Amino acid sequence: MNIRRHIFAVATAAMLSTGAYAADIKVGVIGPYTGGSSSMGVSMRDGVRLAAKEINAAGGINGNKIVLVERDDEAKNERGVQIAQELINNEKVAAALGYINTGVALASQRFFQDAKIPVINNVATGTLITHQFPNAAENYVFRTSAADEIQAPMIAKEAVEKRGLKKVAILADSTNYGQLGREDLEKALKKYGVTPVATEKFNIGDVDMTSQLLKAKNAGAEVILTYAIGPELAQIANGMAKLGWKKPMIGSWTLSMASFIDTAGKNGNGATMPETFIQQPATTPKRKAFVDAYLKDFKPKNGVIASPVSAAQGYDSVYLLAAAIKQAGNTDGPKILAALENLSAPVDGVVMTYNKPFSKTDHEAITANDVVMGVVENGRVEFLNAEDATKGAKKK
Amino acid sequence: MEMFAQILSSGIAVGMIYAVIAFGFQLTFATSGTLNFGQGEALMLGALVGLTCVDTFGMNYWVMIPVVCLFGMLQGGFVELIGVRPAIKIKSEFGWIMSTIALGIIFKNVAENIWGRDALPFPSPLPMEPMSFLGANILPMEILVVVGALVMMLLVEFFNRKTIYGKAVVATANDRDAAGLMGINTSMVITFSYALSSLTAAFAGVLIAPLTLTGATMGGALGLKAFAVAIIGGLSSGMGIIVGGLILGIVETATGFYVSTGYKDVPGLILLLLVLAYKPSGLFGKSAIKKV
Repeated sequence: MNIRRHIFAVATAAMLSTGAYAADIKVGVIGPYTGGSSSMGVSMRDGVRLAAKEINAAGGINGNKIVLVERDDEAKNERGVQIAQELINNEKVAAALGYINTGVALASQRFFQDAKIPVINNVATGTLITHQFPNAAENYVFRTSAADEIQAPMIAKEAVEKRGLKKVAILADSTNYGQLGREDLEKALKKYGVTPVATEKFNIGDVDMTSQLLKAKNAGAEVILTYAIGPELAQIANGMAKLGWKKPMIGSWTLSMASFIDTAGKNGNGATMPETFIQQPATTPKRKAFVDAYLKDFKPKNGVIASPVSAAQGYDSVYLLAAAIKQAGNTDGPKILAALENLSAPVDGVVMTYNKPFSKTDHEAITANDVVMGVVENGRVEFLNAEDATKGAKKK
Repeated sequence: MEMFAQILSSGIAVGMIYAVIAFGFQLTFATSGTLNFGQGEALMLGALVGLTCVDTFGMNYWVMIPVVCLFGMLQGGFVELIGVRPAIKIKSEFGWIMSTIALGIIFKNVAENIWGRDALPFPSPLPMEPMSFLGANILPMEILVVVGALVMMLLVEFFNRKTIYGKAVVATANDRDAAGLMGINTSMVITFSYALSSLTAAFAGVLIAPLTLTGATMGGALGLKAFAVAIIGGLSSGMGIIVGGLILGIVETATGFYVSTGYKDVPGLILLLLVLAYKPSGLFGKSAIKKV
């Protein structure tokens, strides 16, 4: 009994004494690091690692180091749910960054909302994500990616207004991402009085797009609008080449995924998508430093970041979170939330400089003005409009 | 007409992919009355080993094929020795079902750890420019799949009918006990049939890989579809396998076009249910009477 009490006392003393020193700030990083969307997940994670390393090297947040707790959700909703609970209950993270897949975000982030821990979605784009809890007094969900309600109108504008293509076909996958995006696209097209001549869907892993493309062709489509991810988008581009039916592809930003660009090869040339960040040419010193550091640390294949957008948004999400924790002086969820909604100092990111990016009612860091159009050219993404190259360097 | 030709040609290409995998089911069923439910995984492993040969070792596509076939034989033999033989020995009716499924899952996990879970592109040995045929566009690779599958099935049939080893296989298939009494090493024949069935799957894998993407998860859906084909066509008929594959491939593509791409998989599976209900031995299968 006596011995046990001694051990207890020593243990308590040890705990107290470490508590007096700098504490680690645990931050959850959640995304698919394997599978069809892993090029986005791994790029995001590496961007996050890079930012955390820089912040820690510069002395951390108020002297406290960031410790990343990385978990692979495999793009599966049920894994996401498990991970959220594990990070909240076992790891006791101060905040979470991540979510690549809209479906996983919608299934998992409710646990952070209930636990009053902020989540910054840095890649997932489903419009619903930041409005998932409309009746809650406080909303713990933030975002640093371009929501579908920003991207869909840009896609519609590019096709209908700029190129004058009124006969559109929508090809979307059957996931939450594809179907929610399709709804946003249809809404955006309606503003121009355009109804798609064909709306087709397909499953993840489908290898033959002949039926879908024939339907679009038969309906006289002049352009294919897409909402899907890399491997299936590549099947669409390759399927069009097979049918000898070449129409422009305009779609969500996933057309910049390495798994699309590499697999589609020359068939992917000309695919156009909204982007928050384009690797080359690096237009600001901050962007150049980011790309150089990324290439040096992670050595991606051919010197091309697999998903530059994910890497940049992941990187920025860490700086935004760090600024909020610094301002709050604390890792309590409600205090971080209050700081995020009212960031006093501008945060210098690679996508842009964030000047009061969030407010009580607006949890979207990216607005339509911060997004540019990119186009696939010979294996990489370039600016569609040269004048956009300097955009985004300006403040919000 | 053009549309119909296009649907037909795409359906045939997809259907032959199913048929060549289903052919492997038939090979083992004939000799031992068992099936390798890891057939899809054998295909996946063949494709990934082929990719490594071509990409990492810089092998020519045609040189790589025999290597992959050899690998398939070893893999099939392994499955039989580890998973099926013990079940046959104790005359277990269902042990082989679980053990072949289990081995399939193990193979998938191993592949995920070696090659990752990404879908990888497979370099095509033939130009990817489509050729026009009766108004339909067909890739040279699709023709290679159809021709390759047919040639392989014919070779196996020729082997079974004309060679002494093949006769041992046929004898085992007809009556295993009698064949054993005649001095045929029937357990050896069964191992061989597994090796041959995985060989066909691995070959199918490298045949279709340039058309699809290669990856650890590619076997699952294809294996299931091929199983449906084997049931529709009949497990005892080589002809039935081909016809069953073509039916499923064409029905799928046509449904996608004429009905809705959201319901592409449904009619094929309804056909499977109908066959099971009204002609369980398959459209071309001989009904076997089991005496008890």
